[in-house]
Amino acid sequence: MNDFACAAPLDERTLIEYWLGELPEDAESAVDEHLLGCGHCSARLGELVALAGGIRDALRHGKVSAFVSDSFIRSLAGQGLRVREYRVPRNGSVNCTIMTGDDLLIGRLEAPLAGVTRLDVVIDSPGLPGEVRQDVPFDPARGEVVVVPNMVQLRAAPSHRLRLELIAVDDDGRRTIGEYIFNHTAPTA
Amino acid sequence: MENPPVERLEDDAALARRIAQAQPGRAPAAEAELCRRLAPRVRLYGLKHLRDEHAAADLMQQVMLMTIQKLRAGELRDSERLASFVFGICRMSVLELRRGGLRREQLLERYGEDLAPAAAPAEPLFDLERVAGCLEKLPQRERSVLLMTFYEDRPADEVGAQLGLSPGNVRVIRHRGLARLRECVTGEEAAQ
Repeated sequence: MNDFACAAPLDERTLIEYWLGELPEDAESAVDEHLLGCGHCSARLGELVALAGGIRDALRHGKVSAFVSDSFIRSLAGQGLRVREYRVPRNGSVNCTIMTGDDLLIGRLEAPLAGVTRLDVVIDSPGLPGEVRQDVPFDPARGEVVVVPNMVQLRAAPSHRLRLELIAVDDDGRRTIGEYIFNHTAPTA
Repeated sequence: MENPPVERLEDDAALARRIAQAQPGRAPAAEAELCRRLAPRVRLYGLKHLRDEHAAADLMQQVMLMTIQKLRAGELRDSERLASFVFGICRMSVLELRRGGLRREQLLERYGEDLAPAAAPAEPLFDLERVAGCLEKLPQRERSVLLMTFYEDRPADEVGAQLGLSPGNVRVIRHRGLARLRECVTGEEAAQ
């Protein structure tokens, strides 16, 4: 084999599963050996690793918003990221801000989620039409939805009031589970 | 147009044969070309098994030094088995590094500067703003699964357990999300 061609290229799924340690030991060894002999597949893995690095950096630099799990947040904090948390009771509100040293801000929205199979979130920002985030992931057992805002956008935003509405969606239709208000105070320069 | 050096046109096995058949150190172009090809592959092997940039760089140095030295000494009998040969050295070296063994300085002392390969280039970097913008365009589930998977390179069963999803479901979402992200980041999305 050489740098230019591969007679039996590894498929994308195999490369991902290899990288994440999901393959059985013998299959992993076979992929190890293939990659060491194949510049083509190794370069494809290199691209995957670079993309994974971009995903990591996007979150680390606060450039992406997402709904995540409690365990994930605890893991980030355990690695030294400075995480500021705001817990909001169902149909409640919280005063919040962002400080210079914060790496991440998270909102914990308390909600009865037992039996909920799909959850949409409506986000009402001042002066903007309501934005619907469809089918957000959540852990039904924890009774909360964990949201990470885009830190870059939030740092640039003036003081404002943000309203989030959790909506359960099932065969019977849509029902509101709870409303949550964030009274955000922009940090003073 | 200038022709590429002949070494660039040879496969890995041919380069290994050249090194083995020459007097030790008398095939510098073949050695340099083989290092150019193998070093990034070995570095990825190191990242996969050691999950640390510096340890992967140490591994790359160690494996390349040992590979060239062993090729010079004629220890590879069948050059078509080069990948397997390097794999064996990688495995042994990972064990050694995990035990807190060799570091670059010790390797250079042992093998000499003339064997030291150039550093392997890291993976091509994607533009951070573009990756972030493309992540924001993904459906929520795909975005969350990608972040939770690749922030710490977590397998599907761990991510699934945190989100109430089966490992199979996570793999499907992950695969679809990565494909969509790559299309967006590389600009293929617009071309379709």
